[in-house]
Amino acid sequence: MVSKESTTNVQEYAESIIDTIREPLIVLDQDLRVLSVSRSFYEVFKVKPEETVGQLIYDLGNKQWDILKLRELLETILPQEATFDDYEVEHDFATIGKRIMLLNARQIKRVLGKERIILLAIEDITERREIEAGFEKTRKELEIIKKSADEAIEFAESVINTIREPLISLDQDLRVVSVSRSFYEVFKVKPEETVGQLIYDLGNKQWDIPQLRDLLETVLPQKTTFDNYEVVHNFTTIGRRVMLLNARQIESLSGRERFILLAIEDITERKEIEDGLEKAHKELEVLAAELERTARAKSEFLANMSHELRTPLNSINGFSEVLYDETFGKLNEKQKKYVTNVLTSGKHLLLLINQILDMAKVEAGKMKLSLAFIPIKNILYEISLLVEDMVGKKQLDMQLEIDEDLPEIEADELKIKEILYNLLSNAVKFTPVGKIGMRAKRKGSSIEIVVWDRGIGIAKENMGKIFEGFFRVDTPYSRVTEGTGLGLPLSRKLVELHGGELFVESDGLNKGTAVRFSLPILSRKAV
Amino acid sequence: MGKKALVIDDNKNNLMLEKDLLEVAGFEVFEAENASSGIVIARMEKPDVIIMDVRLPDMRGSEAARILRQDRETSDIPIIFVTASVFPEGKEELKDIANSGFIGKPINTRTFAKEVREYIE
Repeated sequence: MVSKESTTNVQEYAESIIDTIREPLIVLDQDLRVLSVSRSFYEVFKVKPEETVGQLIYDLGNKQWDILKLRELLETILPQEATFDDYEVEHDFATIGKRIMLLNARQIKRVLGKERIILLAIEDITERREIEAGFEKTRKELEIIKKSADEAIEFAESVINTIREPLISLDQDLRVVSVSRSFYEVFKVKPEETVGQLIYDLGNKQWDIPQLRDLLETVLPQKTTFDNYEVVHNFTTIGRRVMLLNARQIESLSGRERFILLAIEDITERKEIEDGLEKAHKELEVLAAELERTARAKSEFLANMSHELRTPLNSINGFSEVLYDETFGKLNEKQKKYVTNVLTSGKHLLLLINQILDMAKVEAGKMKLSLAFIPIKNILYEISLLVEDMVGKKQLDMQLEIDEDLPEIEADELKIKEILYNLLSNAVKFTPVGKIGMRAKRKGSSIEIVVWDRGIGIAKENMGKIFEGFFRVDTPYSRVTEGTGLGLPLSRKLVELHGGELFVESDGLNKGTAVRFSLPILSRKAV
Repeated sequence: MGKKALVIDDNKNNLMLEKDLLEVAGFEVFEAENASSGIVIARMEKPDVIIMDVRLPDMRGSEAARILRQDRETSDIPIIFVTASVFPEGKEELKDIANSGFIGKPINTRTFAKEVREYIE
């Protein structure tokens, strides 16, 4: 039997337990009215004792506790089972928000003077759930990380195995961790005798290279990286190799230790090609020098030849001239005709030789200009007078449009006269009937001279050939004795030597020709 | 009385042509094929003018001219060089020689004798 006093004591004892435990606990009578409530219940569910005790549980906190799941537990399960464990109930409370609770209940008979009481322990597992969910999330993220780490490793390995460049990774003791497939292939070593070995011991200690030791043991610890170190080594298996070494010292992902990535590029062939190229380049230079010498020799030969040819030719011309002039007696008609032919041919030959000599000089860079300020306007009229005879004979009409204010130009007078004579006599030669002319005007810091004709013109297909030398348009109007074919190319070279430009324009056959050239007023060569 | 001219040229054709042209123009002409014999003739004949090629087999025309100028007998004789060189540096070696001129090569047969005569008058 339990005395009233001891009953009170027991009740106090039970209530102090209830108040001590952290877990909210509620004691209900058989009508589901609150008998007592633990202090933590008030705290957790923000309800007050005066509005709790004696209330129907469902009415607690302004009917917040009228939870369907709770009704089911208390009214259906508990009467049958007398106990239930870890029922999870989720409820959105007006005061404290959404909560997840774990409910445990015991139905106890005949205690505390009641027929039946119900002990309901309510564990708020909202935070725990959140933490658990966080854990789960973290675990999943970790899984992803691990997966991507695995993938990264796989990726890295496939990169290593794919690249052509031999790659070797070493741990901090310089032992081989892994090696690319190309390393095995290039350096003829086997996987089983590689991994775990000290790099220097690889391939029967072939890799014990002083330069490599220096790089790995001295340079790398200080710089953590080195690039393009050229190392030459004579391997017993594969012979002398030139290698380019690149290295990175990397902290391992796990932070466990450092390891070293060493890329080895075999540049032996490249070096050979480079050396070959350099050799070829040198040979080319020698060849170019040789060519230049040859060109110079050619020019010198031409210059000498011209001189040697001119001496006897001058005699031929001199004697024929005296004969032609009948200085020592009259010639008969035949003799006169023959000596005329000798003289004409001799003079043509002399012109050819002189022009060849000039071309050779220009090409050899030996043509020197005697620069002076020359009255170009007067010179233009002077040369036009020189061809007036020819113009008159062919009954051509020569038109001159020479600007009054043409300035003096700095040029070689003889060369300018030669150019003008060449171009004007060409105009006469290649114009059977009609007009020829010359225009001259100032154009900026140059003067521009155009020698034009309404003659036979130049067919498009011949445009490129007219500067080649010895090219003459084959027409009934141009006989062999009339020109050398060197006048135009030589004129262009002489214009260019003065710092000017010369162009030929023609609309085609029988459309006439215009030769346009410029001469700087102040010679650029004079500076 | 005709003037005396000495022609020095190693090219026989030039020599003959110049001699003939000068003779037609009334000169008495002496010939030499090298500088040394030319200098000897110059001392002997004391010509009124010496026509000399710049390039001679035994010495440069300029050197022959210096020898002629050092000798009192020949120091005043005008010298005409016949030269193909139209370049300034070709004329450079001749410009210091007193009482000298030049005629371009090839000679103009129609004006040669006249040019020589004009030079000494």
